[in-house]
Amino acid sequence: MTTFQQQLKSRFAVLGAIVLLVLGSLLLRLWSMQVLSGESYALQAKNNRIREISLEAPRGRILDRNGKPLVTNRATLAVSVDPANDIVRSLIVRAQSSNKTDDPTRSELERAFGGLATQLGMTPQEVFAKVSDSRVEALRPRLVAIDVPLETVSILSERQQEFPGVRIDEVAVREYPNGSLAAHVIGYTGEISESQFTASEGAAGYELGDIVGKTGAEAQFENVLQGDKGKRLIEVNARGKPQRVIDEQPAVAGRDIRLTIDIDVQKAAEQALVGALNEAHRQNFPNAKAGAAVVMDVKTGEIVAMASVPTYEPTVFLGGIRPGEWAKLNEKSSEYPLNNRAVMAAYPPASTFKVITGLAGLQYKVTNSGKTYNCKGKWIEMGAQWSKLCWNHAGHGTISFEGGVEKSCDTVFYEIGYEFYKRKNEEIQVVSRAFGLGSDTKIDLPGEVSGRVPDAAWKKSYNANYPEYQMWLPGDTVNMAIGQGDMLVTPLQMTAVYAGIANGGVVMQPHVLKDVLASDGTIAKSFKQTVLTTTGMSSENLAIMTNALVRVTTQGTARGAFSGFDASVAGKTGTAQVKGKDDMAWFCGYAPAGAPKYAVAVVIEQGGGGGAVAAPAGRNILAKLLGLPAVNVRTTDPSR
Amino acid sequence: MRHVEKPRWKSVRDSVNVSLLLWTIGLLVYGSVVVASATSGMTGGPGMFKRHLLGIAIGLVPMIVAWAVDYKVLRHWSGPLMVALSFLLISPRVPGLGAAAKGATSWLQIAGVRLFQPSEPAKLLLIVVMAALIADFEGKIDRPKDVVRIMGYLAVAMVLILWQPDLGTGLVFIAITMTMLLVGGMKGRYFAVLAVVGAVGIGAVLGFHLLQQYQEDRLLVFVDPTRDAQGAGYNLAQAKIAIGSGGVSGQGLGSGTQGNLLFLPERHTDFIFAVLGEELGFTGALLLLGLYLALLVTALAIAASSRDLYGALIVAGVIGMWTFQILENIGMSLGMMPITGIPLPFLSFGSSAMVTNLGGVGLILSVWSRRYGT
Repeated sequence: MTTFQQQLKSRFAVLGAIVLLVLGSLLLRLWSMQVLSGESYALQAKNNRIREISLEAPRGRILDRNGKPLVTNRATLAVSVDPANDIVRSLIVRAQSSNKTDDPTRSELERAFGGLATQLGMTPQEVFAKVSDSRVEALRPRLVAIDVPLETVSILSERQQEFPGVRIDEVAVREYPNGSLAAHVIGYTGEISESQFTASEGAAGYELGDIVGKTGAEAQFENVLQGDKGKRLIEVNARGKPQRVIDEQPAVAGRDIRLTIDIDVQKAAEQALVGALNEAHRQNFPNAKAGAAVVMDVKTGEIVAMASVPTYEPTVFLGGIRPGEWAKLNEKSSEYPLNNRAVMAAYPPASTFKVITGLAGLQYKVTNSGKTYNCKGKWIEMGAQWSKLCWNHAGHGTISFEGGVEKSCDTVFYEIGYEFYKRKNEEIQVVSRAFGLGSDTKIDLPGEVSGRVPDAAWKKSYNANYPEYQMWLPGDTVNMAIGQGDMLVTPLQMTAVYAGIANGGVVMQPHVLKDVLASDGTIAKSFKQTVLTTTGMSSENLAIMTNALVRVTTQGTARGAFSGFDASVAGKTGTAQVKGKDDMAWFCGYAPAGAPKYAVAVVIEQGGGGGAVAAPAGRNILAKLLGLPAVNVRTTDPSR
Repeated sequence: MRHVEKPRWKSVRDSVNVSLLLWTIGLLVYGSVVVASATSGMTGGPGMFKRHLLGIAIGLVPMIVAWAVDYKVLRHWSGPLMVALSFLLISPRVPGLGAAAKGATSWLQIAGVRLFQPSEPAKLLLIVVMAALIADFEGKIDRPKDVVRIMGYLAVAMVLILWQPDLGTGLVFIAITMTMLLVGGMKGRYFAVLAVVGAVGIGAVLGFHLLQQYQEDRLLVFVDPTRDAQGAGYNLAQAKIAIGSGGVSGQGLGSGTQGNLLFLPERHTDFIFAVLGEELGFTGALLLLGLYLALLVTALAIAASSRDLYGALIVAGVIGMWTFQILENIGMSLGMMPITGIPLPFLSFGSSAMVTNLGGVGLILSVWSRRYGT
């Protein structure tokens, strides 16, 4: 070895060490990334390339009791805007930033969505409001319009560059073959709200943007109707372009349900309500705009019809309701058509409540069949300064208990009420509650209110801040006895009361679900009928009441309305006085009186007299139920 | 030493370093397999693989020429070689000769046909020129003016390469020169001074933002992955995911999703190691690093056996070039080094680099063949 080779030996050793250091440090890093953290990187690689796409499950249909469709599905062409589009994304990001000055300007929106808006007959702002909805899943296309005409679709797809992010899909939406029929029972659908989404977190596999039932049966039976979403795992490349399907789990369609509603009776009930409103207008009650009607099978609790006016077209909610339409449905002058007054509104029952007072009187022997009273038109038993008038100011003269029911004589019920006041046992309230008043009927529909059965304890707490109003007075009981005062009931509750009287004192649980169908159309599960409440009224007393109620329709306050009616009807009219408003017209009853099948209740807000406005509507509904011809009776019967 | 008396090699067999050729062939075969996989999903993938093989074939020419020519001859041609080096580096900037790609004008193009990247063979010219320069100091560089002189040559090359601008090759130039200075006997204190000057220089370049924004991003993204998250940061993140997801044994050749689904950028060239890491895993990476180690150790042994300092310096230069490129290219994919477009020796697709690396093998063989004699 030469000298210079000796000299270089140490330098090559250093160079060799550097080489080893370089390769060693690379190896160490590789060990850490591939061997120690390999799984975490593998997961990142998987998330990079695998996308999960939800496959929508067709929503179950809603059928009437005979299997006729109330709600079905149909395919439609929908225009959506893809938020991943560069132009669209930048506008969304800016709109969602806290910096208000960064909001997209009018002209920017015009540039991005002007073309699309013109095609769809919307404003660019309306389009953008839907596109920038932050509640929808980040990558999900935003639905802008459905039922887009074919020529629009072809324009949108042929000139794509003019419409940034626009895509066209075939989607399934709800179809309502009978229009607005039974809209309140069926309810409407819409995108899941944030609160619904949070409440359902995880359990049902919802995603923001999913269509769910918002009201009525759609909401109540959401779990059954919704079905199970399918899943498709696809592999995408770096540009997000799908390469292949890795796995697919097909969607399972939602179950069809059958309601207890009968389409024909429902139609009759809705027509009867509209007819009653017209009649009220004719009778000079121009404020009559709203009302409700309920029909219940007294033996099963099935709700055969449930109508509420004014109503709405559930189709306006398809594809997302426009803000203007929503405002229209929620302003005071609209009379709130979305409310199902049959269960969501509570009214004073007025004279229809006399059946409870009467049964309480019979049951507690405060009165009896044939007991006579003397009506002078003015009742002064509580003292002259607390005098009360019968609706018939001329007075009914000598009148029996049954006659009091028949003619709706207030004096008779003042007497009974005053007697109960003196007993200090609140028996009227006991019987009211026994019939289910003051509590939810637990019907399988959302939004039910429970009404109110006032008593001494309630009055004290209700007036906690007004000590001078806390005491329960004789007038409170007396007012309640004729269904006035603080008593509040829903039309459904009153239907249940009359159904209970008709059914031997047993109130069946009201319900709208008949059964859930399996995918082959057979019955998978039926509603199990139960008793809501057993009133304990004796059959003798119920017979006395039925007898009195038949007299109402044959010779009493509903005589005019039921003239020429070919079946025996037990019914009662009512005319509720509400301060600052016109009277509310009531009719409740059941038929056939001898072997009752159906109970019905009708209420018309500010409609005037029960006998003149509500009873004719009740007659037409019962006519449909019993297969009798509908007759447009007109009666100017002034009785209450 | 038993051969020390022999004046020169007598047979072809004696002139062949079997180990060096074996490791080189091993790397070429391994590289071809990975390039085949990386290009398989590309449009014109088979065509690109053929071009890769063609690059190897072309590279054999300079290898054999360098091998056949006695390297000592080159020492007398230092002047013209430095001129040639300068011309190579300037050529892409000559109107009508250059072509730009990825922000730099580093291709030689004549009549619209891209020929090669002159900066690649320029590395070899730098090695040969520097070897002659440093060898003149006979293994002891101790005077500041000598250091300045050598740095002057390097500075010329650096200015020209940064004009393109090709920062990566510039760094390779520095690595080559430093390796040769180590073997050439520069005193430790000068390394320290140069390190300080270099650090101050880097600080000044970054501090005064002398680089284009994209260059700065690429340089610093390995420190701060959020920098340029859509560009260089994205590339780096995808490369790391690819390599990490390879695990111990890899996804299997041709089955790397990061590469096949286009998540990996430049997957057949600068980020070829990410494809290897993803598809062949730690095992595959270990094999590659093993081949490199064998190649470098063999080259070191050849350098040590050189009968003159000039030959030892040439081999050291090639070792420095390869070592730095391995460190930089793999290190960049692992997030340890700044991102620069430096190819991985013998692995990356690209004829210019192949020609250079095989030319380097030829130079080493030339030194080996002439280890005996005066």
